[in-house]
Amino acid sequence: MDEREPLAQGVDLLAREAMYIDLQRWDDWIALYTEDAVFWAPAWRTDTEMTGDVGREISLFYFENRAGLEDRVWRIRSGQAPALAPMPRTTHVVTNTVFEDPPTEDAMTLHSAWTCHVYSLRDRSQHAFFGRYEHDLRRVEGAWRIQRKKIILMNDYIPAAIDVFCV
Amino acid sequence: MRFADPAEYVIDDPEGGVFRVHRDVYTDRDLFEAELRNIFEGTWVYLCHDSQVRQPFDFYRARIGRRSVIVSRDEHGEVHGFFNTCRHRGATLCQTESGNTKYHVCNYHGWAYDAAGKNINIKDKDKGCYREAFDEQDHNLIPLPRFDSYRGFVFASLNPDVPSLDDHLGDGKVLIDLVADQGVDGMEVVPGRSDYTYNANWKLQMDNGMDPYHLTSTHSTFMKVVQRRAGGESANDQVESPDFRDRFAMKAGMYTLRNGHSMIWNDHPKPEQQPLWGMIDRVRENAGEVKAKWMLRSRNITIFPNLQFNDSSSLVLRSFIPLAPDKTEMKVYSFAPVDEPDECRRRRVRQHEDFFNSSGMATPDDTIVYADCQEGYLSYPGDYLQSFERGMATLIEGPDEEALELGIDPVTSLSGNFLGQGETAYHGPYREWVRLMRAGHNREKSMAAE
Repeated sequence: MDEREPLAQGVDLLAREAMYIDLQRWDDWIALYTEDAVFWAPAWRTDTEMTGDVGREISLFYFENRAGLEDRVWRIRSGQAPALAPMPRTTHVVTNTVFEDPPTEDAMTLHSAWTCHVYSLRDRSQHAFFGRYEHDLRRVEGAWRIQRKKIILMNDYIPAAIDVFCV
Repeated sequence: MRFADPAEYVIDDPEGGVFRVHRDVYTDRDLFEAELRNIFEGTWVYLCHDSQVRQPFDFYRARIGRRSVIVSRDEHGEVHGFFNTCRHRGATLCQTESGNTKYHVCNYHGWAYDAAGKNINIKDKDKGCYREAFDEQDHNLIPLPRFDSYRGFVFASLNPDVPSLDDHLGDGKVLIDLVADQGVDGMEVVPGRSDYTYNANWKLQMDNGMDPYHLTSTHSTFMKVVQRRAGGESANDQVESPDFRDRFAMKAGMYTLRNGHSMIWNDHPKPEQQPLWGMIDRVRENAGEVKAKWMLRSRNITIFPNLQFNDSSSLVLRSFIPLAPDKTEMKVYSFAPVDEPDECRRRRVRQHEDFFNSSGMATPDDTIVYADCQEGYLSYPGDYLQSFERGMATLIEGPDEEALELGIDPVTSLSGNFLGQGETAYHGPYREWVRLMRAGHNREKSMAAE
């Protein structure tokens, strides 16, 4: 198998995910995830180590399935959350995408660098969050879907708030 | 400053049913500087918990007001507190938040100190051609003027004349016991930090931590998410955060204690949803029936000026560091019994993440409305706020029956049900604010006169 083909498809999926978030196409975004998809951003336990045991340690986000993201999207759409109204604008850049283990027919893990610029309309301030992604992708009925996304947030000194659309 | 006497910023007239705080206390730069001198550098402040320096040679970097300090456990297990600065050229010694090291060696000229702060090496001293006067100096790290702990909570004060920590905490010790006694084998900071800043005064966090009145408005979307889960509209079954609505008819109250501490509480409608529930028999056996009952109540505790516990859907330890009149740094941790079973811990961390993290679905709404307040104060600065008087008609001096049962002697008690959503818990901290600010003001005035 030519590994460049699934890699290109994976890179396309990651770019599409970034686009859907930035354009606030929430249904399209959620549809990229399998129902049992894990969405995980560990917290830092010290300046050099992150948490790893999601059962006994704190994560920034840990959703065992897609419903965790769906709750967040419901909250955004409600327009009632002070932190999300007005909704900040974002731009994600996802790049340097590589695999370490070669993709198979229907599964691959991609490693990327990301940055997300967040612009708060409330006070005209902006902030860039950045870090690394690991995406476990699975082919479901011919199309690639996200089965697990792990987000490493490098700058965890957070100006007031961070949400699923900022990482 | 608008008023020479700090007391004028707080109109405190219990007879007349009046308690009002001036907007300037959140915005005025000179008042902020006076707060750093007279409160954060004048009384006891919380630094960290024992479990963050558990092993010999563990250290933790903290802050007292503007000062960077090191908490360090020596080889014998004793915990020390030092200013984070080398005696030689003054460089900061510790650049990391925490770690384990036998020796703290300065990056600049290599002076080295052991974990008890003793200077153990002055580089090339023997070639140094120093006069005797050099040796007559103390080369050890400078210890914090006052340093003590209660039940593993480490406090320090830059004021050598401050009363003992025991006196400062007073009945606050009983409130801390309700936290510490949850761990039969000890308590720990759960790994995983949430450090964040917000663009408002430190007292916004202090106030919000004893404010039951904002829950149904600020956190209405959190409440609805919880209801959607319960009603099956959300498929999220991994977390069972409680529904505020269930609290409305529950018994509730609030106390102010001496030296600025306070607690608000309410009976928990579904104590079985609390992480502690799975361990309650053992805790009850150890701590007794009354304490166990109080541990299952929702409690928000303020230990003036910079430590808060929020014990409702999970137990949260918050401390805050004032950076500017309109900027505050927060350090938030989940706090738990070290020995807790996996199912209790899992419930705890999921409920913590759901609500309390800066990445949760409630805390961001708090921090954003703090900034709204900060901006709002400047929109009409010359006014007193109207947010301190709910409950004053039923407020009593001294303890109510519940307080007597717990064994505390509050300055004021308010009882009722949750929907009363009182605002009297603020009175204690603001009275302490006035006391410390006034004492500092008078001291500075008399020094200027000399």
